[in-house]
Amino acid sequence: MNDYPGKILEINLSTGSISSRAVEPDLIKQYLGGIGFNARILYDEIPVGADPLGEENVLIFAAGTLVGTPFPTASRTEASAKSPLTGQFGTSNSGAFFGTQLKTAGYDALLIKGTSQTPVYIVISDEEVQILDAAFLWGKECWETVDILEQKHYGAEIALVGPAGENLVRFASIENGRYDGWGRTGLGAVMGSKKLKAIAVKGTRGRKVHNSAALLEAVRKGQQLIKSASSYMAFTEYGTLNASIPYGKNKAISAHNFTLGTLPDWKEIGGRQIVDKYGSRHVACQSCIIACGHWAEIKEGKYAGVKVKDLEITPVMSFGATVGLNTEAIIKASEICQRYGVDMVSTGGVLGFAIELYKKGIITTEDVGFELDFGDDEAAFKLLHKIIDREGIGDILAEGTKRAAEQFANADRYAIHIKGMEIPMIDPRGRWSTWSLGMLTNIRGGDHLRCRNPVENLRYNDKDEEYMKERFGFKKPMYDRLDMPEDLKSKAIDLESDTVDIAEMSKWAEDLINLYNSVGICIRPPVMEKVGPTIIAEACRAFTGLEISAADLMESSERTWNLIKLFNLREGEEVDASKFPRRFYEEDIDGNILDEEKIQAVLEKYYQVRGWNGRTGKPDANTLDRLNLVDDLG
Amino acid sequence: MDKLIFVDYQKCVGCATCEMVCSLVHEDICSPALSRIRVVRYPTEASNVPITCAFCESPPCVSVCPSGAITKNADSGDVLINPVLCIGCRQCVQACPFGHANFNFARGTAFKCDLCGGSPQCVEFCWTEALQYVPLERALGEKREAVGRNILQSS
Repeated sequence: MNDYPGKILEINLSTGSISSRAVEPDLIKQYLGGIGFNARILYDEIPVGADPLGEENVLIFAAGTLVGTPFPTASRTEASAKSPLTGQFGTSNSGAFFGTQLKTAGYDALLIKGTSQTPVYIVISDEEVQILDAAFLWGKECWETVDILEQKHYGAEIALVGPAGENLVRFASIENGRYDGWGRTGLGAVMGSKKLKAIAVKGTRGRKVHNSAALLEAVRKGQQLIKSASSYMAFTEYGTLNASIPYGKNKAISAHNFTLGTLPDWKEIGGRQIVDKYGSRHVACQSCIIACGHWAEIKEGKYAGVKVKDLEITPVMSFGATVGLNTEAIIKASEICQRYGVDMVSTGGVLGFAIELYKKGIITTEDVGFELDFGDDEAAFKLLHKIIDREGIGDILAEGTKRAAEQFANADRYAIHIKGMEIPMIDPRGRWSTWSLGMLTNIRGGDHLRCRNPVENLRYNDKDEEYMKERFGFKKPMYDRLDMPEDLKSKAIDLESDTVDIAEMSKWAEDLINLYNSVGICIRPPVMEKVGPTIIAEACRAFTGLEISAADLMESSERTWNLIKLFNLREGEEVDASKFPRRFYEEDIDGNILDEEKIQAVLEKYYQVRGWNGRTGKPDANTLDRLNLVDDLG
Repeated sequence: MDKLIFVDYQKCVGCATCEMVCSLVHEDICSPALSRIRVVRYPTEASNVPITCAFCESPPCVSVCPSGAITKNADSGDVLINPVLCIGCRQCVQACPFGHANFNFARGTAFKCDLCGGSPQCVEFCWTEALQYVPLERALGEKREAVGRNILQSS
């Protein structure tokens, strides 16, 4: 049994040393857990300018504060390191059961430093921690590796890299068991560079709860809140696929490397009805009451026998829209990504980029070895395996679209990324909203997953002329129930004109999601709509015994966000890095195009809301002082 | 005892909220390893099977217990372990045909489901209704009704 707070386990693969230390209560008060710990620790541990694939980089896994409790959706662990894809703060979040085991073994975070000379894996069983030889696993795909390690280490949850991580593909993922993963920012390449094949963790001790009755009450309330969300039933049934048809209608899907906006048979390919056709059972992460995962099985045809837990919007958009594949090929693509360990979003982006280069004549059959076209699954998978193995042109594409584009003449326009990271699914030309701005302001580069309006509304997409507002469909009771300080609420939401102020809402949304990523709960819409800082604070107090208010939580989350911004600035983030790909400003889809100047104005307003310099986006000294970060200003 | 924890294996999604709640309620600790109810996950087929006490009519755990620590109440049907009498021999753990009876190494005593004194919290917090604490006749009746509906629809 362990009290709260737990320990930080530190393993140095260069020296083989293993040590653990108690988490200082002040670290929890200031940074909570999860991404907060990662930000603080990596800011202090990674030297400026460190090679992301070198010995100096540090990889950290931190389970959120509430992970290891029955609080609904408390399953999530944040993995972070300096990203080999973006050169900035790399970070990714995953659920399933890894975090629960880490937490019950007594650890709030696992810190991995140095580089092993030979392949190794780490086994954690409560206090017993070992670094073992992994020569027999090196080169093996992920599912086979999990099978072997589950046999050897009964009951353990496994985080691991596949061949892509071993081969330092810059968008390699760390897989979390067979079907989940820390996908974004290339953390798999960091783990591969450390010659670390896997981490197997099993915990039996658990955590002493400060006030069991109060925690149980918070769990009950949390469950009721999520169940009362307007999107709850739709999400338990269809998961994230609810969004795919609305985005198709808005001409906002990433079709054919962001050239088409939609596809004629999009509904059949990627609509939520594919759950009815291919899905069978629902699958949940630890303590989740949504179970958005769908077990998919292909029964006949050339992909007969493929089974994944992944009828989800990310593969549907990445492979169905960006690469133009059909539903069964999308499911097959998910399987390849999970078994070989690559991020689905970047993979789709890189494949779409390569296919467009081919169609434009920038690369040829001679370069590739075969023909490429949107919708050609066999060619796409052949190319993907070349990337995973870094063979031929695959060696260039394994560097990600930004670096690969530098290797070909006039290829830059077709590399769809922000700050080096391929962007997913939603084309902001077709749908401008809080999360569109969030792609620009995201501290990890191009995606929407760190900034979503807590009450998303897929029905509206008509942007105001200045891009400042998002039309909403807000009802008064919904407004009243939103757990947000009243002064902020009235600034961010105008009930009369039924609009949301995108700059104001973005800061709140980012801080709220960052809070979720600190305490380890999920950003699915039914949670975001209902689970605000008040109930999270109640659960945190009951579990840890620390006196933490809702306002403390939001301030802590803001502190983490600012510290990561400082990390990125220290690593040389440029003033004009927060831009969409040129294509979005210069090529229209059915008249939809982005206005660069107007977006710049929204961005500058967002900077001001954050207390950052309106022009440069650098945090003001006052802001850092307020957040106790003034010592971190280099 | 006419009520039992009735498990609908088709409904369980494997969230294991029941395990966390059970150990929280009984031990003030969150740890699946200390939960009475355990969810067996078969991830490569997306199947989940919660295992709890069967409250056998002839409980092997009771007959094997050398210290009389485990008793079956003839009226309520409950099978309970008295931790004061438990000598920590783990015979019940070995005898249980379901792998339900378990051992707490920190305390040195065996543990098993006690139905939370009549209001099982695993059931209370099971949002899928995979777990129900109902009279046998009702559980079976509902099952028969569902089967009947299928027969009607397909005939």
